[in-house]
Amino acid sequence: MLEIKNLQARVEDKEILRGVDLTVKAGEVHAIMGPNGSGKSTLAHVLAGREGYEITGGQVLFEGKDLLALKPEDRARAGIFLAFQYPVEIAGVNNTYFLKAALNAVRKSKGEEELDAMDFLELVKAKLKPLKMDESMLQRSVNEGFSGGEKKKNEVLQMAVLEPKLAILDETDSGLDIDALKVVADGVNALKRKDRGFLLVTHYQRLLDYIVPDYVHVLAQGRIVKSGGKELAKELEQKGYGWIPGAEKKEAAV
Amino acid sequence: MNSTEVKNNYLSVFSDWEKTALTKDPFWIRETREKALSYFEKSGFPSSKDEAWKYTDLDAFYKIPFALTGEGQTKAAVSAELKFLGFDTSKANLMVFVNGHLSKSLSSFEDSHGIKVRSLIESLSNGPLKRYFIEILPFENRPFVSLNYAYFTDGLFLHVPEGKQLEKPVHLVYLSDNSGKPTQSHLRNLILMEEGSRATVVEHYWGNNLNPYFTNVVTKVSLDKDASLDHTKIQQESELATHIGVLAARQKENSRLAARVFSFGGGLGRSEVETVLAEKRAEVALDGLTLSTGKQHLDIRTFVDHLSPACKSAQAFKAVADKSGTAVFDGQVLVRENAQKTDASQSNKNLELSKDAKIYSKPQLTIYADDVKCSHGSATGQLDEEAIFYFQSRGISREEARRTLVYAFAEEMVGKIQNDYVKGPVGLMVQRWMEEEIGKKS
Repeated sequence: MLEIKNLQARVEDKEILRGVDLTVKAGEVHAIMGPNGSGKSTLAHVLAGREGYEITGGQVLFEGKDLLALKPEDRARAGIFLAFQYPVEIAGVNNTYFLKAALNAVRKSKGEEELDAMDFLELVKAKLKPLKMDESMLQRSVNEGFSGGEKKKNEVLQMAVLEPKLAILDETDSGLDIDALKVVADGVNALKRKDRGFLLVTHYQRLLDYIVPDYVHVLAQGRIVKSGGKELAKELEQKGYGWIPGAEKKEAAV
Repeated sequence: MNSTEVKNNYLSVFSDWEKTALTKDPFWIRETREKALSYFEKSGFPSSKDEAWKYTDLDAFYKIPFALTGEGQTKAAVSAELKFLGFDTSKANLMVFVNGHLSKSLSSFEDSHGIKVRSLIESLSNGPLKRYFIEILPFENRPFVSLNYAYFTDGLFLHVPEGKQLEKPVHLVYLSDNSGKPTQSHLRNLILMEEGSRATVVEHYWGNNLNPYFTNVVTKVSLDKDASLDHTKIQQESELATHIGVLAARQKENSRLAARVFSFGGGLGRSEVETVLAEKRAEVALDGLTLSTGKQHLDIRTFVDHLSPACKSAQAFKAVADKSGTAVFDGQVLVRENAQKTDASQSNKNLELSKDAKIYSKPQLTIYADDVKCSHGSATGQLDEEAIFYFQSRGISREEARRTLVYAFAEEMVGKIQNDYVKGPVGLMVQRWMEEEIGKKS
């Protein structure tokens, strides 16, 4: 589904990604871990098409197509979803309006009929329940004044509505207490499907207790320096990153 | 032409114009016209050195020879076009003015319960209105106001007697018919609200003319004790138009004025709103939204004079400027020595959508009383790229993201409109502007 080959990117003069290789197949859950400043969030942003990064080499194929040639909205329409670490507050734009506009943009691009207000409301209400979200959230401005937990739930709600092929979760556990984390993780787990891939970007192992990955990769200094199964995450939790060749220098500096 | 030549032109055509156009004028009006013209002769047009006109460049205006004309022939499609704009004119007293003259065939209005809804020029001929005519807004040092005094042709006369409430809003539509040459009209409205009366008035300037024209309007409002006026000005002139307008009010005890200005049209548009809070506990709320694009230059200028104690004024203006559009907010609040317990606030928020767009914001508070609650704030910014990316990451195009964000910014001012007659149509105008100017839905 997703093939990242020797991806290199920089911000202004600073090289952040220095040759990332990663393949995610449908139905797989991959976790990318790494110390601060290793390039995890950059990778997530580059995949979603955030401006401000210069791609200096390599390529990314999504279902065989050149992902990096697409505008951010076309990536989303093709099935890529980025759950933000810091979801943006948008004053004056109603959450229902936003969700409906997003869903209809995605549906339209697939040649599907746009949903009217009634059908949409029915659909979104059904998606709210598992996330223990109150219907009143729909009437509020997008993320405005939401608590940390509400913002992350809202991201998962958007994911549930848009039904992407590949979901990228950027530090989804940050700022969540344990109860909120469980709800968010349950929401994500309920979305696992054979034809859907997940890429979890996280600094801490904690999230992976609730969303169990098939593969764990360590990103350090812009490269994947080690890959393994879910047990690698436990090992990282105990030993830190310093013991991994390629990650030691950065860890020492922190 | 330069400003002196244009000035001389206005002075020289007056006597001929007066002979043909003003046979019905009572003597005191003719006297006022001449007096105003002599003031104009002394003052001339404002220059950019004049603080009040610092941001307003009139050079383009001087270049066009606007002619004074009589009644125009306008297409009878007015009611269909108003319907397209979202107005249900069956719920209003509709007065349509073409080239400054009331078109009775396009209008539909009536007196009711002693409330007078009439043509001003007809009312002046038989009413003792001289006092109101001069008192509220003197023309000294106001070149365009003196021109208006000299050349005005007609407008609304609204008189709501004590305790009466005007049920249907007055919807004033001002059109220019100038298929042949550049024209000008000078309009005058007079609104007298007696004790405890209520009314709603919409001033609507509108055109899509292919020739330039010039509209110069003065609206005067007198609010007696406990009276209340809801006034909305919609400036939707053609982009070739020059529009200069002043609304001047004087408020007595516990009266309330809500005045809004929506500036969407005109190549050069300037709307001034000023009120004197002359007696205690008078209240005024001034709001407005300016949408400026292309090469438009749209000015808002406000002046609130807190003359008496315990009055309240609240101003909230927003502007969006795109392409090479300019928007100006110049707002003044003066709290005089006697105006203790004044509550005055002023807020101006602006959005610049392109690097060539210009926004000037100049909120000013001058306070001579010591026991007051006053605040003012001004902020000009750009769209948040982070927010645009958030939309895009959900499949919404960049254009639609920008449009939605600009609409969300502007919509607050539509939300402040209290009466349903104008709220829907203005909301629609704002929405259409977004669709036409910020890119199509994709």
